[in-house]
Amino acid sequence: MNLTEMLNNHAFWGILTLAVLIWYSTVTVYVAVRGVVDIKHMLGNLAEKQRDPKNQVK
Amino acid sequence: MTNFTWIDGSIVGTYLLATMVAGIMVRKYVSRVDDFLVAGREMNVFLGIASLAATEFGIVTCMYTAQAGYTRGFAGSIPGLCNAAAMFVIGWTGFCVKPLRDSGAITIPELFEQQYGKFVRWLSGVVIVLGGLLNMGVFLRVGGQFLVVCCGLNPDYLEIAMTVLLVGVATYTIMGGMLSVLVTDFVQFVVMSIGLLATTFLVLHHVPWDLLVSTVETRFGDGGFNPFVNEKLGWSFVLSNIFTNTAAVLTWQTCIARLLSAKDSKTGRRVYTGTAFFFVCRWVIPGIWGIAALAMLDPNVVQGIGAQFGEKDGTLFAMPYFLASIVPMGMMGILVAAMLAADMSTDSSYMLTWGSVIYNDILAPFRRTRWSERKGILWNRCIVALIGVFLLFWGLWYKLEGNLWEYLQTTGAIYLASMSTLLIACCYWKRSNNWGAVAAIVTGAALPVLALSLNLFVKVQALDQLGAPILQDGKPLLEGIVKHYIGDDFVNIGTFLAAGAAMVIGSLLKTLLHRRPPVVYAAHDPSASDMGGESS
Repeated sequence: MNLTEMLNNHAFWGILTLAVLIWYSTVTVYVAVRGVVDIKHMLGNLAEKQRDPKNQVK
Repeated sequence: MTNFTWIDGSIVGTYLLATMVAGIMVRKYVSRVDDFLVAGREMNVFLGIASLAATEFGIVTCMYTAQAGYTRGFAGSIPGLCNAAAMFVIGWTGFCVKPLRDSGAITIPELFEQQYGKFVRWLSGVVIVLGGLLNMGVFLRVGGQFLVVCCGLNPDYLEIAMTVLLVGVATYTIMGGMLSVLVTDFVQFVVMSIGLLATTFLVLHHVPWDLLVSTVETRFGDGGFNPFVNEKLGWSFVLSNIFTNTAAVLTWQTCIARLLSAKDSKTGRRVYTGTAFFFVCRWVIPGIWGIAALAMLDPNVVQGIGAQFGEKDGTLFAMPYFLASIVPMGMMGILVAAMLAADMSTDSSYMLTWGSVIYNDILAPFRRTRWSERKGILWNRCIVALIGVFLLFWGLWYKLEGNLWEYLQTTGAIYLASMSTLLIACCYWKRSNNWGAVAAIVTGAALPVLALSLNLFVKVQALDQLGAPILQDGKPLLEGIVKHYIGDDFVNIGTFLAAGAAMVIGSLLKTLLHRRPPVVYAAHDPSASDMGGESS
């Protein structure tokens, strides 16, 4: 992958492609880490709701 | 010609097992209909981003975006830019999505009932389900075709492989509802992202940027980079995509389900702004794969693969055929796992979110007394199972003709045009009413259905740019009459405009006809001139 080629030859699409690769690489890692925390909170809150006598299912 | 070996099979098998276990394990947290349909409204930002991104990228997405790259060059990625812009602006401003989430509704038609009444809620549900099911009907077959071409799966086993995959997805969706969908989406997002990125770096290593650009220049000229100067695209293509993508962000069930599962409207809006740029990735990454396939493959070979599946057009299969030739053993397993991850997250979410409309809105008139939570969950599970059965049978016998994205756009337009009109009017135009709503729904559904039917049953000879008939295997190539004389983009634009006009005209007509006769007051009463009619 030649960065100079990408920036010089049809720069709009070259820069956009680079932005896509950089954004996707970094966001994937960040979302993967923070997403685990979100899942833990979500399941914790749901378990708490289930234990609450006010929310007993009929 | 494929590098799929037992090592790759083991990677795929491990991934499938992990997903199934994760999906089924969370079923114990489902005790209410709200838990099943909107995850108890406990979804936070990053889980929402992962889930929305995973859902909105399936094998079918990868296939049609790569097809766009193969047949239109870089300009084929324009819908992704429109989608990203629409999602960012709507998330940032809260246009429609804030009042929708703040209303506490589980589905969009539930919000409509407040403004337009029960009948419009029911009718909206019917139209949403009709458009959604037709749209998702092609997913399975296209996914199976990818596996056949990319991994060398025997075509005779295509139906069996599709059925097994769907049963697996349906199992965890039926058990855990939105909770299973969110958790498996998260796993699928990670696997999918690794596969997509690794494959893109590999493609760019095999096909240098200069070769990609020169291929597009040779095949499409400036029109391969700029849609406005492309004879086959032009402003109508861009405008059609702005309409479709804005409406999809506002009303597409899988997007809206994330908004409605969010803790609050602020979280939902952050999910939208955070995911917006992913929609550029969603079109550019497979688009690059498609252009690379164009650069490296003989068009006759591509056409031959299409014929093998009994399809008129082979361009859909160029990308998987190209990947099969360059992706090495070991990495092929990661790619296939990524694609299966993408497909499973899409299928599960589609089944659940469209099922939620059937339960919440279409069946609403039949629930005269309040159902218990257990009964509600049971019904939802049955609906998801029935949608799975529908997907299986529709996917097996429907043969796609022409460009996949245009098919999805047209079937989506059956409800996108009317529902987005209803939603905007519901949120921001107090004088909108049920007459306008029904007129918009009927108009919005009738035009695309008419166009689709005419294209299927009335054919004319396809012509090239010089007006000469196009031949295929020595016979004249036929295409739908509406596609030939009007074009899919103009049908789409016309549908949106007509639905908007129908809403305005219908609402004003009702206001006009139901206006009370003026009350005659005594001549000296100064308030008499201020009294107007009241719309109901």
